[in-house]
Amino acid sequence: MNSNWQTEIKAVFLKEWRTEMRSLSGILTSLLFSVVTVYAIGFAALSTKLHGTVIAGMLWVALLFSASSSLTRSFLVEEEQGTADLLRLVARPHAVFWGKALFNIFQNLVTSVILSVLYLGFTAATVTMPWLFVVSLVAGCLSLTGAVTLCGAIAAQAANRSMLSAAISVPLLLPLVALGVSGMRISLGDGSWASGGMASVVGLIGYATATLATGPYIFAAVWKS
Amino acid sequence: MKTILKALYILVMAAATIWTYSVPDANAFQKPGMARVFLWHFPPSVIGTFLMMFGTWFALRAVVDVRTGSWMRAQTDPVQRAEFDLKSLACIEIGYIFFVLTMVTGIMFSYLQWGDWWSWDPRQTSFLIVLLIYAAYFALRFAYSDESKKATFGAGYALLAFLPGMFLTFVFPRLPQIKELSLHPSDSITGGGIKGQYAQCVILLLVLFAILTVYLYRLRVRAGMMELEMERNNGKLENNGGDPAPTGVVRRITVSEQD
Repeated sequence: MNSNWQTEIKAVFLKEWRTEMRSLSGILTSLLFSVVTVYAIGFAALSTKLHGTVIAGMLWVALLFSASSSLTRSFLVEEEQGTADLLRLVARPHAVFWGKALFNIFQNLVTSVILSVLYLGFTAATVTMPWLFVVSLVAGCLSLTGAVTLCGAIAAQAANRSMLSAAISVPLLLPLVALGVSGMRISLGDGSWASGGMASVVGLIGYATATLATGPYIFAAVWKS
Repeated sequence: MKTILKALYILVMAAATIWTYSVPDANAFQKPGMARVFLWHFPPSVIGTFLMMFGTWFALRAVVDVRTGSWMRAQTDPVQRAEFDLKSLACIEIGYIFFVLTMVTGIMFSYLQWGDWWSWDPRQTSFLIVLLIYAAYFALRFAYSDESKKATFGAGYALLAFLPGMFLTFVFPRLPQIKELSLHPSDSITGGGIKGQYAQCVILLLVLFAILTVYLYRLRVRAGMMELEMERNNGKLENNGGDPAPTGVVRRITVSEQD
């Protein structure tokens, strides 16, 4: 291999970007999913004023399913189109993981921001601690992306890959949802910083760091099989 | 000798079971007599947790060749990978059985002491998520028919599951805001809350469960090794170096001129 790892990561990221821009299927699917979810929750709640914990819980459930249904695609598509073997030849595993993870982080952040803005608008929620809301959202997106990307790679060669990748990633992300809800409900005025805000921020950042730090190694171990 | 040891084990287990019914009532509980469920709840959870840790270690050995000293070097020997994966699978399978036992006894305890089969207690809920995580591990293994892929991806997922599993078992229930919501006692062991006959009974059951675990683990690994050996020799059975496979009974045939 003549190229260095930065070039390979950039190449994989650009490949993902161009593939996505050609069809826009991933972003459009997750955006449509977000809008429908927000509308469904707003419709179910009607004019009821929702509690901060309920709003945070529903938002995180929407984020979880949006991520697990769209981000796992990155590896599933490679196997379906038969391009995975080519990718195995041209880039080292760490570069493939980081290239795809970075693109997934971008896609997930865009979707999450739009979903959150729509959601807060529909539910008329007031954010009392905007910085905590943003930190919870960003750290949550990073953790979601790391774990879901890896689950996509693990399930990519299975027979029922689409359903399986979501089925194996959701239980792994439930602790993350618990931390995310805990942080976000405080940002929505339900609880104080001292009553769990600190623990949830530390937990979310720790989860994101651990997932993204160990992810490339686990990925490298399974990618070439 | 083995039969005698097995008979002895069954006898001691029976005696321990009878003993669990004769320990005094725990008056601190709502239904003091029914607090004995704890004796069948705590030891499986400890054994199950250790098994999951061992399962993760063997999963790591299945995908990483740790003997080389480099953590980035993948396990290239397919025999080693299959064998370590088998050990990992054995640990996780047996650990899961103990976890289910923990959950069932926990639900019974919840009904008897807290009034509901399922009270959404944070500890109970986090443990259910651990069960779901490892259920997904089995779902993943079932999804692959190729043994090599089953081993690699199964081991990869076991490694990925370890962090959330440990977080949900040890960290999440001890977070201050969770601890104050939970009805589940979290410092009974460390705070010296288990004393006298209860402590003796718990230790005896822990030892007995540990012996049972070693026995089941060895049995499962032996059965798995035989399966692997059969897989490896599958081709040879049908064609032994170009000759027909040897059969058990060989009869001499004589052909006379009249035939």
